[in-house]
Amino acid sequence: MQSAERPGAAGPEDAAPGVPAARDAAGPPPGDPDAAGTPRDPAPAGRPAESPERPDTAPDGGTDPPPSPDGVTDAPADGTAQDPGRAPSGAALLRAALWPPRATRSQLVVAALLFALGLGLAIQVRAAGSDDTALRGARPEDLVRILSDLDDRTARLDDEKRQLEAQRTELETSSDQAEEARRQNEERERRLGVLAGTVAAEGPGVTLRIGDPLGVVGADMLLDAVQELRAAGAEAIQINEVRIVAETAFTDRNGGVRLDDEPVSAPYVVRAIGRPQDLEPALNIPGGVVQSLENDSASVRVDRPERVTVDALRPTELPDYAQSSP
Amino acid sequence: MIAVVGLVLGVLAGVLTTPVVPTGVEPYLPIAVVAALDAVFGGLRAMLDRVFDDRVFVVSFLSNVTVAALIVFLGDELGVGSQLSTGVVVVLGIRIFSNAAAIRRHVFGA
Repeated sequence: MQSAERPGAAGPEDAAPGVPAARDAAGPPPGDPDAAGTPRDPAPAGRPAESPERPDTAPDGGTDPPPSPDGVTDAPADGTAQDPGRAPSGAALLRAALWPPRATRSQLVVAALLFALGLGLAIQVRAAGSDDTALRGARPEDLVRILSDLDDRTARLDDEKRQLEAQRTELETSSDQAEEARRQNEERERRLGVLAGTVAAEGPGVTLRIGDPLGVVGADMLLDAVQELRAAGAEAIQINEVRIVAETAFTDRNGGVRLDDEPVSAPYVVRAIGRPQDLEPALNIPGGVVQSLENDSASVRVDRPERVTVDALRPTELPDYAQSSP
Repeated sequence: MIAVVGLVLGVLAGVLTTPVVPTGVEPYLPIAVVAALDAVFGGLRAMLDRVFDDRVFVVSFLSNVTVAALIVFLGDELGVGSQLSTGVVVVLGIRIFSNAAAIRRHVFGA
């Protein structure tokens, strides 16, 4: 720029070193054809800014090779290579282009185009950033692929759901079955407990009271009574405070009676749970328990109360070695 | 300067007004934007080379955008749209890089 005004001041005599200063639309300085010819000045315009390392590829925007016949472009003047220091640097050029603003036609046109570019850029960035609009710009084949992916995924999830539902149904029914089995087990345990004498029992039945003022009643007579009751369907029996079960031992010892090594004494009260209509006749049959006891001058009374309670218990004995096997 | 103001105004307008792009044009917008970027970088380089001409710039800008969109459209019609758009983006990216290298040489001298 500092040399821009030199063509005016440059007379034909000092034009030789000032040739690179020819700039802008100046073209060759008029009136000095001989001086211009000295440094082999190119015909259209000497461009001092042409840097020697300028690549040969076409600068875009021009999209045309450097030796274009276009009036603006030109071939790099080899005469300018002798004075590159005079040329403004690219940074200075940029600064000059930015400030001060010049409202020329080219600036306005470029501004309009850049406005369109910025608009498209912002729209595209926003569209690429959001997910729901990502599908809108997709190609049909991509959409088809996405759709089939989704279909596959849906089918997979449906399969999984079906499996899980089947599993749930299975678990529910099996837990129902387990509950039922548990209930039956408890029921059986209660029944067996009544039979084994480990739980108390209550129900209809009879009581047999044997008074023995003379001490004639022995273990055999009690055993007869118990067996008669059992034969008649008694389910739980107790004599005084001793529960009578299958392995109860009846022994005579020192004139007294022992049940399971437990001394019992008169009056003997036999409580039996069972069907009273069966139990009472079984005791009272001719020649039966009651008659033979009375023959031995023991006093016998049979009652049929509303409820008979058998609450004497035997300890639960768990086997030490044997374990249940299915 | 006015050109830079135009770019900033365009970005602001795009962000603030959130215009809706027609669905038919939407696949070509990114390619067109990349092509326009290429044209802008080329114009910047031409300016630093002092061969800038607004007429050439306008023509190259519009033709870049149009040709890029046309190529992608053609690829879509032929069933190779995604591959072709990738190729266009690669080519334009290479051009942008070379232009940016030239600009860098001008501005930083290295």
